[in-house]
Order: sequence, then structure tokens, then C-alpha cells
Amino acid sequence: MIHSQNSFDQILKENKHKIYRICKIYASTPIEPQDLFQEVVFQVWKSLPNFKEKSSIDTWVYRITLNVCLRSKMKLDKTNQKTIRFDAIQFIPVTETINPLDEEKFKYLKECIETLNESDTSIIVLSLDELSYKEIAEITGLSENHIAVKMKRIRKKLFACLTPKIN
Amino acid sequence: MLEQELKNIWENSSKTAQISIETDQLINEFDTKMTRIQKNIRIRDVREISASVIGILIFSFFAYEIPFPITKFSCFLSILWFIYVIYKFRKSKLQNSNEELSLSLKEQLVHKKNLLQQQVKLLDSVVYWYAGPSFITNAIFIFGLENPVDYNWNNKLTDFFLPLTIHDKIGMLIGLSFFYLFVVWVNKRGARKGVQPILKNIEAIQQKIKNE
Repeated sequence: MIHSQNSFDQILKENKHKIYRICKIYASTPIEPQDLFQEVVFQVWKSLPNFKEKSSIDTWVYRITLNVCLRSKMKLDKTNQKTIRFDAIQFIPVTETINPLDEEKFKYLKECIETLNESDTSIIVLSLDELSYKEIAEITGLSENHIAVKMKRIRKKLFACLTPKIN
Repeated sequence: MLEQELKNIWENSSKTAQISIETDQLINEFDTKMTRIQKNIRIRDVREISASVIGILIFSFFAYEIPFPITKFSCFLSILWFIYVIYKFRKSKLQNSNEELSLSLKEQLVHKKNLLQQQVKLLDSVVYWYAGPSFITNAIFIFGLENPVDYNWNNKLTDFFLPLTIHDKIGMLIGLSFFYLFVVWVNKRGARKGVQPILKNIEAIQQKIKNE
């Protein structure tokens, strides 16, 4: 069992950007991506003593992230209604390297992903993180074939939505 | 638009902010949050259970003090019912606190659906385990109230309203009926407005996963 502070630290270091990207997609007013991010990190910390290494730690973190995000989207989380920000997590805006065009493109991507249903959303965010169908299947509980079929359709839908906006 | 361009947009999206995490401080803050959550759970538990415990004490006193046999019997029934309510609340809370966020998305939907179905069942069946038994024991209590003189029972408090006429008893029963009907309505409304929409949402997602 992995539940030392070092493991937690390591998990955060390796996964914080992945978690944040997913949170940015799922966050919708009044919940900010930062609120979702800290809730995911809290749930990872809380669940870490129960991690049984049946799956890889990455798969496990993705599962928690998606479940927390989905819970928030479906307003299943009654405990997170009053969010208290943790001082130990700081989001420092990186203004100098941000290309406004990239920001705009991401806004369009988010808008297009929001038109997908919940299961398609989780599949596409995992696919954008370059996970294999096998890994996506493990995280979502669907079969690899099912993922492959769905991906074809999701990709088509996403490109149809995005291309006119970006061009 | 190229697939790679899409992946670049995605990859760059987390570069808009530098995420700095002080793990030691964060763990302290999490510990504080956990302590606060556990404290709130304990306070809620004590509040819910103490209502039933107070009920048990009051009806134990009634059972000891009141001489009318039918009313005495209803007091014992009420005590049993209070114990059952404590058990029911504890069981339901244990089921609801059993959150498994590390399950796969598909399993998580099944898990959440089961929890919500249990919640709907609990709220919908409130007439059978809460309002109904409580109304019946209260009704037996009221109808069992006799004339204290027949039992040589002297009590300053009850001397004011006992013996009750049959009209008084029927009037009290009608009042109680309205109260318990309101309790049932509030719970059924909670199931319909609060839980059923989320349940339907989960079922819709499950259906979409199955069909596509």
C-alpha cells in the first residue's frame, strides 16, 4: 500500500497538470477549475491509504479526477457547496508565455466538448491526454472496442464543431 | 484542423497557470478539513439520535407514570419505534457515506445509482417506517387515556385536560393526521424534486453508454 507523504507528493508532481486540464473542462460557474482541482487533490489524499495497486497509480488518479468532476457537474456533491480555498495550493497566472490565440482556441475546445454527453466528455479528455484505448477502457469501465467506436464518432463531432470556429 | 493541433491546444491549456503546492502545509490543511468534517458528522449524529433518545426517555417516564393499560402499551410501542428509527438512520447513513471515487466511471454510475435508489426508497416509504407507526402509537396513546379517578391516579399536570371526551380524542387524531400527512408529503417531495432528477440523469448517461 502506498500512503506515505512522499508518494502523495510524487503523485501531485506527476499529475497536477493532467488534473488541472480536466478540471478546466468540467468547471462551470460558480465552481472554478481551482475549486475542482483542490477537491480532486483532497480526494486523492483521502483515498490514498486504500489504493491497492490493482491498477496503475495514473489510472487511479484519472478515475478519481473524473468521478469528482462528474459528481460536481451533476451536483451530487453536497459537501463542496461552500468551497474553502487551501492556502497550500497556489495558482500563479503565467501571463508572459500565454498566447491569447491559444486561450481562445481552448475556449472553443471547451465549448465544443460541452456539447458532448458525459461519457463522451470523459473519453475525449482522456484521449487528448494521449491515453491508449486500453487505458481509457480501464478508467471508464467500457470495452476497448466500445471506446474505438465511440472515439470515431466523438472525433468527427468535435472536429465538425471546432474547425469553423478556429478557421 | 489537425489532430496534433487539437492536442497542442489541450496540452497548452494547463500552462496558463503555475501550480505551486506546499505538500506539508497542504496535508495540515487536509487534516484540519477532515477534523472539521468528522466533527460536523458527529454533531449531526448526536442531534438526530438525541431526538430519539429524548423520545425514549419521555415515553419510558409515561409508561412508568401513566396507569392506563392501553396508553402504557402504546408507550412501549413508541420506545420500540424510536429504537427502530435510530437503527434506520444509522443504516442509511452508513450506506450513503460509502463513497468509492476510485471506481471506473461505469461502476461509479452503478454505485451512485444504487445509493440514490436506496435514498428514494427511504423517502418514499416514510409512511411505513416513520409516519404510519408513529401515528398508530400516538392514536393508541390518545384512545387509551381514561379517567384518572377510575385508577385513583393523582397528577397535577394531567388533571387539567383529563379525562378527554371522545370528541377531544377525534379532534386530536385529525390534527395528528394532518401533521403526518404533511411529513409524508415533504419526504415524497424531497424524493421527487431532489433525488429523482439526479437518478434520471444517471440512467440517461448509462443508457447513452449502452446504446452508442
